[in-house]
Amino acid sequence: MLAVAPNLKTTFKLPAKLLLAVCFVLSLSGCATHVEVSGTFPKPLSRQYPFTTTLVFNEDFRNYRFENLAPREVSVAVGDTQVQLFQAVSGSMFKGTEVRDLIPESVTTDLIFKPTVADVQIAMPYETQLKVFEVWIKYNIELFDHNGELIAAWVMPAYGKTPTRFLKSESDALNQAAMVALRDAGANLITSFGNVPQVKAWLAAQNAKGAALTP
Amino acid sequence: MKLPLCKRSTTGCQSQTIFTLIAPLLLLTLSACTTTTIDEYRESPSQLTMNGNETVVVLGRRHAGDYETEPKFIDCIGESLNKAPTVTVLPETTFVDALYPWFEPRTAPLGLRRLEKMLVDPLIGQHIRQHGVRYMIWVDGSTATTDKDGSVSCAIGPGGGGCFGFATWEKTASYEAIIWDLNQLDERGRVKVNAKGSSYLIAIGAPIPIIAQVQDKACAGIGKQLRTFFTEQ
Repeated sequence: MLAVAPNLKTTFKLPAKLLLAVCFVLSLSGCATHVEVSGTFPKPLSRQYPFTTTLVFNEDFRNYRFENLAPREVSVAVGDTQVQLFQAVSGSMFKGTEVRDLIPESVTTDLIFKPTVADVQIAMPYETQLKVFEVWIKYNIELFDHNGELIAAWVMPAYGKTPTRFLKSESDALNQAAMVALRDAGANLITSFGNVPQVKAWLAAQNAKGAALTP
Repeated sequence: MKLPLCKRSTTGCQSQTIFTLIAPLLLLTLSACTTTTIDEYRESPSQLTMNGNETVVVLGRRHAGDYETEPKFIDCIGESLNKAPTVTVLPETTFVDALYPWFEPRTAPLGLRRLEKMLVDPLIGQHIRQHGVRYMIWVDGSTATTDKDGSVSCAIGPGGGGCFGFATWEKTASYEAIIWDLNQLDERGRVKVNAKGSSYLIAIGAPIPIIAQVQDKACAGIGKQLRTFFTEQ
């Protein structure tokens, strides 16, 4: 009996430790929301400018992650998905697209297009008391000609929201709100590109030079 | 505890045991009442016509800051409208993706004048025509919890767990659907629905929810009313 008792004690200790560990992990995961934004974009319906462009996505842009520690820990990684978005939009807007990590010294394309993330903000229902998850993304866009001369620099905001749903996780809702925000970024770029004053002036100059511009 | 009762009266015991088993299930299937009010406005008493290739698309308004017309509600109306024999409904996501980015919250037409410009635009107009869209139904609104009271507490311990308390909440669904005719470029009618219902949660050991299906009732009401625009009911 004396030899059996320690074994029994050990046998009962393990599940208790396991239970505590599970509770600890659950309490940790209950406080933090981590989202790797994923999704696909439809092929945009856009008039094509008769130019080719080099898209420059630096490392910060490719790996962009929004992190917030208070009142709750939330992180939203938009890097990969925003790269997909800009490639899809550029593929529809321009007759040819190349992708680089840095602004090259010389390019074979007509334009160089460089987006950077200036800011990301999120709003959760527990903060706003609204039944929606919201995501704002502010992009800084720089457009250069083939010589590397700056044509235009402008701020492009994007906004997305998604309603709360019963039994839907915060991660799913934030992912969906971020996807709506990225779609909005694409919509904003397609509809406002030709209306940015400096871009408009550059397009008019190219038109005057004889390029067949019909956007 | 039940066995002694069984011995006294077999018939009574059987019915009591069956009742004990069925009662929670009955309570679970109970749903609270919902009051639905539907207002309708028609441009003309004649029915809306469609030929074989034409379709209807039901779209949700998403431009408001504090709420969003639920995609699930739009799908529900589409399914309800599809029951009309003469109507073919194009799913919202199919249409919005095919026309991306022209029907996003930022770019969607809020009025017929903007839609007219889009239809004249060869790029957008051609794609809308390719999908055979004859009628566009815009739905705006949301379902919200308008009142709540009471509380339910749950506890768990080594011997088991349970809940105790009573909670009630009221939900209101308010939506308006506007029908646009893309051939005539005018509005053909409006349907407004208001549905209100109180739900209850009674907890004595196990929680028993009695839920008012407010959004479902609103969908059924608005869907049925929209069908009358296309077919005789």
